Amino acid sequence: MISLAQSISKTNLKVTVLSGLGIFLLIIGIFSLSQGAFAISLSQSISVLLSEIGIQLSDFSSQQANVLLQIRLPRILLATLVGGGLGISGAALQGLFRNPLVEPGLIGVSSGSALFAVIFLVFAPTTLALSWIQNLGMPLFAFLGGLIHVVAVYLLGQSSNKTNTNNLILAGVAINALAGALIGLTLFYSDDAAIRSFTFWSLGDLGGATWEKMPTATILIAIPSLLLFSQSKNLNAISLGEQEAFHMGINVPALKVKLLLITALIVGVAVSLTGMIGFVGLVVPHLIRISFGADHKLLLPASFLLGATLLNVADLLARTIAIPAELPIGVITALLGAPFFIYLISNFNSSKN
Amino acid sequence: MLAASNIHFCIKQRPIVDQASLSLKAGEVLAILGPNGAGKSTLFKILSGEVSCKHGSVGYNGCPIHNLKSKQLAEIRAVMPQHSQVNFPFTSQEVVELGLVACKTNKPQQLIKEVMELTQTSHLKERVFNQLSGGEKQRVQLARVLVQIWENKPFPRYLLLDEPTSALDIAQQHSVLQIVQELKNRNIGVLLILHDLNLAAQYADRIILLKNGIIAGCGETSEVLQEGILSKVFEHPVTIMVHPITGRKIISTDHFYSNPSKNLKPIQYGNSF
Repeated sequence: MISLAQSISKTNLKVTVLSGLGIFLLIIGIFSLSQGAFAISLSQSISVLLSEIGIQLSDFSSQQANVLLQIRLPRILLATLVGGGLGISGAALQGLFRNPLVEPGLIGVSSGSALFAVIFLVFAPTTLALSWIQNLGMPLFAFLGGLIHVVAVYLLGQSSNKTNTNNLILAGVAINALAGALIGLTLFYSDDAAIRSFTFWSLGDLGGATWEKMPTATILIAIPSLLLFSQSKNLNAISLGEQEAFHMGINVPALKVKLLLITALIVGVAVSLTGMIGFVGLVVPHLIRISFGADHKLLLPASFLLGATLLNVADLLARTIAIPAELPIGVITALLGAPFFIYLISNFNSSKN
Repeated sequence: MLAASNIHFCIKQRPIVDQASLSLKAGEVLAILGPNGAGKSTLFKILSGEVSCKHGSVGYNGCPIHNLKSKQLAEIRAVMPQHSQVNFPFTSQEVVELGLVACKTNKPQQLIKEVMELTQTSHLKERVFNQLSGGEKQRVQLARVLVQIWENKPFPRYLLLDEPTSALDIAQQHSVLQIVQELKNRNIGVLLILHDLNLAAQYADRIILLKNGIIAGCGETSEVLQEGILSKVFEHPVTIMVHPITGRKIISTDHFYSNPSKNLKPIQYGNSF
């Protein structure tokens, strides 16, 4: 792959990789529209989509159109946003901490968001009839939880003004354990229904996707992701070291705060919408880096696209393996991600020696 | 001019740098020498702006360092730390490009090309940085810090190097320091920390000797490199000879040849002495 990357010039490589990943995502998306418990053929799926913009192709029933537009399409869009958000956050955090082991789950963003989301689930007054408060309140609350955790982990990982990665990871483990305990404690005081919904949610669940959730998801994931793209140059600089980045003229403390805020927002919102989905934020940036190099100008957008694709594939499998039942998506991402990751590590080591 | 006056820096009441003053002009190579723990690295960090110092002042071209934003500072001075790790598979060219990350220039490619030619790294540009040899890595890092201040500006620029030759073989050491010498006619002043006295003798215009945080000697290279003061500062016998062809000073640290000068107090040099 490196030789491929070398033979094409840099801008061309970027355009090729991004459009390739984009087309792949589109194909996966359209294919997953046609798959599921309710039979809709691929051509019918495409004609339903096209009829929305006024082009009539083949016939389809209104029931098929409803399933497609009200259930499957929002679900695929949500998978795209959440998967992309997790991918790009993972890439940004790995760059910020100059450590390829970092992922949103490891440094406590996910568990912090989960804790606050659970607290919101259990204790928020159900009398709140206004659904937009539910729609916006939970993501913001989850963001707050993620932010508190990531700041705590970050501060514990600092020693004499520099980030000590060992401390950081140990602090992440400790904070994750604490969050797990507090989630358990919260569930202890909640009813059976909440526990059941949490169990499913803790392994990730895209089943709750509706059009009502889309504005929140779009604004709070897509816009911060665009903000991350604009930081690619700074992320490149800080991957040489905090000291070096300062020497090169980067305001390092401000950059760290900015990146932590943005990633906590993306992951917090993603967790509040779909639960904890592991491995996407860890595996995706690795894959891109090993295949196309470490330049964040390509790494960030490519991680978004590949994360979105991966989560769509995982969701497709989760929906179709045990029709009509659904597997939790976190199970699929871990089943796909973990062996692949092990393969990558062993391959990476052997190519190095 | 890079000017520092009366720098005083303590950690837990213990002075690390004690009332140090120095200056560096553009077109000059200034070497800081001294034993381990003399405070060289701390002084270096204070000069580069990485550590802020409450007592004393540091100024670049007449402007106090605390009034300069990191971006402005980056236009005036570039810094090469002793060890730079690159954890991700960046190519050499990408590493060099990073030097320009905060600089505004309308000819980045030309600057990159020039510094990579100067540091003889052009042929490495597609290679992954982490797979290079120690000497190649050091030259690529040198290219990265050079590109930051390479463009001709109306004001003098400064390059600070922390032991740039520490991990290199003899030929590489000289090739790095020869590159440094070529900066003199580009309105750039160079400050470097060195351990090798002979390299300092060969390449430095001026030398500062640091011992226990105090400047023990400062001046033209030939003035400072004297047997007495070197033996005292390094607590090791030093003999100075003259190279038969170049006529430059050669500093020997061999016990056998040691001939402590009169003003040197007897020092315990271990059993062999």
